Amino acid sequence: MARINSNTELEELRQEILSKRDQNKPRIAVCAGTGCLASGAAKVIAALKEEIKKQGLNADVDIKETGCPGFCERGPIMVIYPEEICYLQVKPDDIPEIISETIKERKVIDRLLYTDPTTGEKVTHESEIPFYKNQKRLLIGTNINIDPKSIEDYLAIGGYRALAKALFDMTPEQVLEEVKRANLRGRGGGGFPAAKKWETTRNVPREPKYVIVNADEGDPGAFMDRAVLEGNPHSVLEGLVISAYTIGSHEGFIYVRQEYPLAVENVDIAIKQAEEYGFLGQNILGSGFDFIVNVHRGAGAFVSGESSALMTAIEGKVGEPRPKYIRTAVSGIWERPSNLNNVETLANVPLIINNGAEWFTSIGTEGSKGTKIFSLVGKVNNTGLVEVPMGMSLREIIYNIGGGIPGDKKFKAVQTGGPSGGVIPEQYLDTPVDFDELTKLGSMMGSGGMIVMDEDTCVVDVARYFVDFLCDESCGKCIPCREGLKHMREVLNNIVEGKGNEGDIELLEELSRLMTKASLCALGTSAANPVSTTIRYFGDEYQAHIKESKCPALVCKELVSYYIEPSKCQACMICLRNCPVEAISGGKNQIHVIDQAKCIKCGVCFDACPTRFGAVIKISGEPVPASLPEKERSLVRGKK
Amino acid sequence: MDEITLQIDGREVKAEEGKTILDMAKSLGIDIPTLCYHPALSPFGACRLCSVEIISRGRSRIVTSCNYPVEEGLVVNTKSPDVIELRKMLVELMLARCPNVKIIQDLAKEYGVEKPRFKLEDEKCILCGLCTRICDERIGVSAINFIGRGVDRKVETPFQGTLDIDLDVCLCCGACASVCPTDAIELEDTTNKKPIPILSEYNVGLESRAPVYIPFPQAVPNVPVIDREKCVHFVTGECKICEEFCEPNAIDFEQEDEIIEVEVGNIIVATGFNAFDPSPIYQYGYGRLDNVVTSLEFERMVNSAGPTEGEILLKDGSHPKSIAIIHCVGSRDEKYHEYCSRVCCMYSMKLAHLIKEHSEAEVYELYIDIRSFGKGFEEFYNRVLDEGTIFIRGRPAEITDIAETPEEEGKLIVQFEDTLIGRQRRLPVDMIILSVALEAQPDAEAVARLFNISRSADGFFLEKHPKLDPVATMTDGIFVAGCCQGPKDIPDTVAQASAAAAEVLAMISKGRVEVEAATAVINEKICSGCQICKLVCSFSAVDYDEEKKVCRVNEALCKGCGACVGGCPSDAINLKHYTNEQIVAQMEGMLV
Ligand SMILES: Cc1cc2nc3c(=O)[nH]c(=O)nc-3n(C[C@H](O)[C@H](O)[C@H](O)COP(=O)(O)O)c2cc1C
Ligand code: SF4
Ligand code: SF4
Ligand code: FES
Repeated sequence: MARINSNTELEELRQEILSKRDQNKPRIAVCAGTGCLASGAAKVIAALKEEIKKQGLNADVDIKETGCPGFCERGPIMVIYPEEICYLQVKPDDIPEIISETIKERKVIDRLLYTDPTTGEKVTHESEIPFYKNQKRLLIGTNINIDPKSIEDYLAIGGYRALAKALFDMTPEQVLEEVKRANLRGRGGGGFPAAKKWETTRNVPREPKYVIVNADEGDPGAFMDRAVLEGNPHSVLEGLVISAYTIGSHEGFIYVRQEYPLAVENVDIAIKQAEEYGFLGQNILGSGFDFIVNVHRGAGAFVSGESSALMTAIEGKVGEPRPKYIRTAVSGIWERPSNLNNVETLANVPLIINNGAEWFTSIGTEGSKGTKIFSLVGKVNNTGLVEVPMGMSLREIIYNIGGGIPGDKKFKAVQTGGPSGGVIPEQYLDTPVDFDELTKLGSMMGSGGMIVMDEDTCVVDVARYFVDFLCDESCGKCIPCREGLKHMREVLNNIVEGKGNEGDIELLEELSRLMTKASLCALGTSAANPVSTTIRYFGDEYQAHIKESKCPALVCKELVSYYIEPSKCQACMICLRNCPVEAISGGKNQIHVIDQAKCIKCGVCFDACPTRFGAVIKISGEPVPASLPEKERSLVRGKK
Repeated sequence: MDEITLQIDGREVKAEEGKTILDMAKSLGIDIPTLCYHPALSPFGACRLCSVEIISRGRSRIVTSCNYPVEEGLVVNTKSPDVIELRKMLVELMLARCPNVKIIQDLAKEYGVEKPRFKLEDEKCILCGLCTRICDERIGVSAINFIGRGVDRKVETPFQGTLDIDLDVCLCCGACASVCPTDAIELEDTTNKKPIPILSEYNVGLESRAPVYIPFPQAVPNVPVIDREKCVHFVTGECKICEEFCEPNAIDFEQEDEIIEVEVGNIIVATGFNAFDPSPIYQYGYGRLDNVVTSLEFERMVNSAGPTEGEILLKDGSHPKSIAIIHCVGSRDEKYHEYCSRVCCMYSMKLAHLIKEHSEAEVYELYIDIRSFGKGFEEFYNRVLDEGTIFIRGRPAEITDIAETPEEEGKLIVQFEDTLIGRQRRLPVDMIILSVALEAQPDAEAVARLFNISRSADGFFLEKHPKLDPVATMTDGIFVAGCCQGPKDIPDTVAQASAAAAEVLAMISKGRVEVEAATAVINEKICSGCQICKLVCSFSAVDYDEEKKVCRVNEALCKGCGACVGGCPSDAINLKHYTNEQIVAQMEGMLV
């Protein structure tokens, strides 16, 4: 491929690519993102290729291995064009049928369609599935149309048009102004206005300047950046080059965690292609602007995502936050001005340049514009990646997109913002989700983690879980964060084990204050959020644990006892046979009883007891009723 | 450079750009606690103890003063209630982590923290990072670093010495251990290397010393020296901390050794003796058995300015209950030195006396003969006897730690023949002092050649005449004094030195040297430069002129003995007033 040397050449190439594509030719898109690969997409794709070859359809059907469209829970996902038929959870065995029925006969296979859990109706088209219908997928919506390893696919959807526009029709100042007016805020956690940061770096009179993509994504369970980078790497590259042009930087880094091999692979390929086509390297598109990119693989620590830690890591040292009151935008990598942006932030940039700030600001709320991708997980029917306009309420996200809470359970709380985000209770479900509203509630947008919890979740246990995670993921450098977290964990462990003391809540609050005020980096200053918000919204649950030795959600093992309700026990002996420590006595027609001294509280009996009997119950905070005397245990059937 | 004005605790101060709040607070004498700050190292920002409250651009916030750069108009409060509360809790957390660390205990006292409300641990390391930074930033090797994240963080070498990789970057310089405020570093454990201490020469290896040190308290001049072989700067080119901290700027790494030439008319050689190294006497176990020491080592130990401050200690740190002093180690022994070292009996008794003075230990002196010949010496011998020191006549055959009876368990046993009762005996003791011989310096040969003086069979320098000229040598103007001439005690040395000085003064006050009338002269025209004359001259009076390639006689040294005249193969030498012609003429006159 010869390098493209002007805007005209770019548009000519685009037309050439499009003209070669027949929109009516059957095309089977299969998600080959990490999620779907884990659920067997590779075998599905292999079977598909095999079948097409067998049926001699090679020339008549296109297969596309794409990035993640978000509905990972139902993977492997397949969308068949031009009809846009969406099949979920496809297995290799389904392939012959798909080819002979759907491709050849144009018939839809009902079995593979999405079924509405309430109405039982089948949904044929991808865009009609409620999970997708209620989203606004500006960034990940195109993933299913693109083979991330093909630059032509990106060009076909208008790729690099924004770069050409910026380079040829706009001055760096104009680009800056556009992004400023769009009020694009950082998606990596802080929500800092991107244009402001760019301007700072741009104005520092030191060369060279660096631009960096933060693709560390260390939050457990979060994978929005992975989906974007894996599924549409060129969109990030395009945003990066535009930011470099604006700032006046000629060298960039993509810091991507080692644990994302597919993202690394796709980014490497994308960079090579972009260099070949002239979107990177010397004299980009003939504009005279030079820019090169290096990929830095991070060793994958949560704290390495913090800006100064990340830059220290790029310098080849241990990725630890550094104590500087000079911003990295002014003095970053090798003490040079360095602009750091999140993957998603940069992916938004081409959209803004192409469509204008007005268009962008028409989406979202007063202070937060555009869309945001969330990783919706936990006790919710549809888990996966969801991209919604800023300002959509938590309720809409959880119920309309997420499909509500499974198994008739009640919603209890949602945790947003990753491990150091806060827990938000039911009364705030109608809060519009944007940077400022979440902060007001004591939580944060973070990078977009969203964990839904139902009534069977103990918030104290949840707080303990996050604190435990942070104990391992803090870099351990500063006292408030390291020692503070350690003792928070200690106190929380005591509380969930029923060994809590009067004053523990105050002590936790004191530690929270110290960590928030005195820690070196944002990990430490936000680390107390899970604790402080759960105390704020669920203080009575803490009290119950401490004062009554009671876990209201019946989760904390040490505070829960298992008991067989004599009136409900049908003496089926299932629990007795399953108990690993033989703590249950009983027999045929003998009401079963649990020997509390032997019981290890594994909960096997609780799960084993048939739901229609529901005889095994959990008790917390009150004494277990005395077992029936031996002679009263024979079961008189029919009497109940 | 622009000056910046800021306010700390209500006091205005002007600062240079680049200074920190902490720097300026210090200059005002305002105390801010720190744990991870060190003036020679880059700020770390880890302990947060130096937090202060600032008002900058109208906003109040808490920052760490050790790395917050001064700004125009900055208002700083180092002791606001928020700051104090915060520091107090930090101290409480640290006290829970390190309840037995002195600096933390002190801080706790200062901030009124009594008992932490948290679970106690017993760590020594406060994770201040001083050690890792000094190793990286100043020593330049980065041999230790933090490993583990979060609550598992600790100081280690790369790969914790578990992998079979010898990175071998650690210099074992000990900088980390010396900078550690809590003594948390056991060099060997932390670095996985065996540290080789630099032994103090003055304290005969009983103590280690730093690479920059004052040789000994009374050294002249009394200033430190840098040991180039050990100083990290001379090894790696880095460090230079001393240069930074020496206020009078006295450190000069460029300084070289100099050779100073002085012209003199007389030289007194007083190069002293060498203490005999008893390690070749294998059966005495020196260097092999703990608590077998030489008299010189013991001398340092018992000295109140010495490494143990005068306390007599065994290797394990306990006090000995019995000590044996072995006389004549290396002296009066055909295998080593046949001569009597003359001072050992008396200094051994002095040591016995000191032991009695400093401790409760039993003392045994194992001697061959007691030679207490000097003034007051016999009286001192009697006194030591009275003090309870037990004298046993017999030369030990062996010192061993192999016990034969339960009483000997854990002791050193001296095996010897008690010649007064004619029986083999075993004496179990805790410590053994070897009273080592005095011997000639190892470089005596070279010195003798340099000054053209002779040595006797025992290796010491030879005087001109034992009775008639005991401080002069065969070379005029060269004198000897002290033990370089032979073992002697201090009074004898002083007497001899005075004599030598007197001889020299006599020469100087005379102002001139009387030369022999009959000295040899070399006829340069005939001399072939074979230097046989130089070889045969016992008075070093012949010099060889490198340029002219001839020999020449120094008249001030020539004694007119005529040895060279007879020796010269080309008949180039004549003795003044005794030339061949003169002698032949005399003979002819007599014969006629
Ligand atoms: C502990 C910690 C972890 C972080 N991890 C990430 C991350 O994985 N990805 C990311 O983009 N930003 C992360 N950040 C935020 C970055 O420090 C930085 O604010 C962000 O990358 C800037 O980009 P943006 O302005 O585009 O959001 C993290 C911050 C902290 C304190
Ligand atoms: S706040 Fe935590 S993660 Fe940040 S520097 Fe301190 S110890 Fe490290
Ligand atoms: S070993 Fe000493 S110097 Fe090193 S981090 Fe620990 S306390 Fe600080
Ligand atoms: S001295 Fe400033 S943070 Fe430790």
